[in-house]
Amino acid sequence: MTAPETTPQGSSDPASPPTAATAALSKKGLGAGTVGLVGAIVIGISCIAPAYTLTGALGPTVAEVGTHVPAIFLVGFIPMLLVAFGYRELNSRMPDSGTSFTWATRAFGPWVGWMAGWGLIAATIVVLSNLAGIAVDFFYLMLSQIFQNPDIADLTTNPFINVVTCLAFMLGATLISYRDMQTTQKLQYVLVGFQLLVMVFFGIVAFVHVGAGDAFDALPISLDWFNPFAVGSFSAFAAGLSLSIFIFWGWDVTLTMSEETKGSSSTPGKAATATVVIIVVLYLFLSVSLINYAGVGEGEFGLGNPDIQGNVFFSLAGPILGPLAILVSIAVLSSSAASLQSTFVSPARTLLAMGHYGALSPKFSKVHPRFFTPGYATIVSSLVASVFYTVMRFISEDVLWDTITTLGMLICFYYGLTAFACVWYFRKQWFSSARNFFFQFFSPLVGGLILAVLFFTTIIESANPDYGSGSNIGGVGLVFILGMVIILTGIVVMLIQAKLRPDFFRNRTLARGIAGDRNESTAALPE
Amino acid sequence: MRYIVGYTDTPAGHDALALGVRLARTDGARLDVVLVLANEERPTIVPADPGYEKFLRETAEGWLAGAIDRVPEGVKATSHLVYAESLADGLLEAIDTLGASLVVVGAARGGLLGRFALSTVANALLHAAPVPVALAPSGCRDLAETPVSRITCAVGTRAGADALLATGIRAARAGGVPLRLLSLVALDEPTGADRPEALARAREHAEEVLAHAVDELPRDLAVTSEVATGRAIDDAITAIAWDPAEIVFVGSSRLAQPRRLFLGSTAAKMLRELPVPLVVVPRDAPTQIGDPS
Repeated sequence: MTAPETTPQGSSDPASPPTAATAALSKKGLGAGTVGLVGAIVIGISCIAPAYTLTGALGPTVAEVGTHVPAIFLVGFIPMLLVAFGYRELNSRMPDSGTSFTWATRAFGPWVGWMAGWGLIAATIVVLSNLAGIAVDFFYLMLSQIFQNPDIADLTTNPFINVVTCLAFMLGATLISYRDMQTTQKLQYVLVGFQLLVMVFFGIVAFVHVGAGDAFDALPISLDWFNPFAVGSFSAFAAGLSLSIFIFWGWDVTLTMSEETKGSSSTPGKAATATVVIIVVLYLFLSVSLINYAGVGEGEFGLGNPDIQGNVFFSLAGPILGPLAILVSIAVLSSSAASLQSTFVSPARTLLAMGHYGALSPKFSKVHPRFFTPGYATIVSSLVASVFYTVMRFISEDVLWDTITTLGMLICFYYGLTAFACVWYFRKQWFSSARNFFFQFFSPLVGGLILAVLFFTTIIESANPDYGSGSNIGGVGLVFILGMVIILTGIVVMLIQAKLRPDFFRNRTLARGIAGDRNESTAALPE
Repeated sequence: MRYIVGYTDTPAGHDALALGVRLARTDGARLDVVLVLANEERPTIVPADPGYEKFLRETAEGWLAGAIDRVPEGVKATSHLVYAESLADGLLEAIDTLGASLVVVGAARGGLLGRFALSTVANALLHAAPVPVALAPSGCRDLAETPVSRITCAVGTRAGADALLATGIRAARAGGVPLRLLSLVALDEPTGADRPEALARAREHAEEVLAHAVDELPRDLAVTSEVATGRAIDDAITAIAWDPAEIVFVGSSRLAQPRRLFLGSTAAKMLRELPVPLVVVPRDAPTQIGDPS
């Protein structure tokens, strides 16, 4: 294959030299220096989708740690940050669309790598179904607000209507991803700005109600809410932590946007810092204001009420904002839509890499010749997510809650593997500089260990039928069953693939190695 | 003389490449096969992924290599990978940088509407290209090896066709193929009982114009002329014989900005009705098609 930067690419007439005109046509695809600081922050916030994340995660977290949500949100950021450092190291050394799959394969060989890829795909597919589920709730809520008819909002509780609407949303998101339709930058700025403003407004009005004395169940703010050591038990702490890892999921992209950010090389760092400060402040502000307003009791609007915990904004927007509640619906809907779009890309790209290296059928590595997207992989992800949501909607008592908990577990699984992959991959150069020691050894190791502890604690605890939402099958917690089914299915599919496509599993397509070996530069491109 | 082929690894892209090869053979031009990827400068809420960009670039290089393999011996072809906002933007840019004389794209949109819907890129180019645009109809790829049998120039009876006629003459001479001058006459308006007479008068007028044009032509060309009549342009088009191996030259609309293309209503109807390739020539810009170089 010719070197990428030289144009003309090929010629039936090798004697003709490339002219100045043809040379002028060759440009790199990545617009080096096109995303500014604000642009990077907007992408970061858009990927995290705070409005969606918080409405999905706040209830389950309250269920685990009560009023200590702010503390857990603060602590939850630590493992995320530590692992993200390792992620950034691997990404700058081996940029590859397979991310966790490729890196874990390079560090630990094909079997572990395959499972890391599976974990990433499963996590994103679970989140896709949760996203679409939240969007359905808010879609009907918005309709009921527009037509001032509360009955419409209840349509979402009808499983058939709910599933059909969700599948329609999924279809729309698939089309957008498949055809690579992008929103304009201006619209993106407006949507993200709107989302942040509405969330702040929502929190302020909640405080105003408390001040006026007409809050639902005002609970005075206490410093104790910020103390992670006050959480009752370790298992509650671990469960809360694995949920709060989900709320920062997606933030790591701002750290890796090094190539295309403009300005100095410190822009990505600044963007990541600014993004996380905005997000953390917003999360703390909203969680404090909502606990302050509604308390953590099990009353109608109490955050401890299991009926509203899967989607708290859905129930609280009305009592707090009255006629303006529609703003929250629009913010969550636009936030879910943006997140749906950015989330769709990641399982598709990992599937593509797995197909490319022979870990899955080569069909997955097909790029659509007109839209330049991983078309086949996108459609497969969408189908699996749709089936998953449909099945869950019928077997789970609280589908949104259960999917969020399962998601936390899966994120711990593949992020943990990625962190360990970073540590192991760079093993020969840990001590060559203080920088390496911190970013390639210490941070990912500690982050990975925390995630590993969370993963195993969640698995053990979730077997209890009372865990989380209390969904269970035959007395075994649904989240446990889901986690096991997902991981065991992964192992079965992997064994089948190993039989069908032995090359990958014998290290022939993507060689195991260490940082700086001769396979590194070609890791992403087997000839 | 360089002809650009707007290539994608799709049936429409293969149609365009096949037509490009035939035109290049007829006119002695060399081909620039251009594949346009979306550049990452466009706004996106999906963070850019250098790994995927690299994979995409390699895949595209593979597609281009496949395209060059399809070009038969004797036709010079070079491939280019271009990054632009859209396929049409990339091609317009390439026309400019390469100094191309013509651009070929697949006309069919594909899907349910088939050849009845113009592809987005064809539509965009017809509104903005400064050079002739050749539209390859769907299925054109099956005729890749068939030489051009004839050039038909849809001259009409109105002024503004000089550039078109000159282009047609040069193309026919360069390829050593016969030239057919065509005038389409349609009487759309309901004219009642005197209809056949009006039709006959119009036909007479068209024949006079054509006869005059043929007289003016150099003697080294095999020229025929034909007038097609019908109640509507569609009828007129289907009323005469077409050879799948011929190429039709039509002028762009008088509504276009100077030196820019725009597909006139007659040309648009022809595109819909005809299974043959169409070359849309700008109304008032001299073209280089058929220039010995």
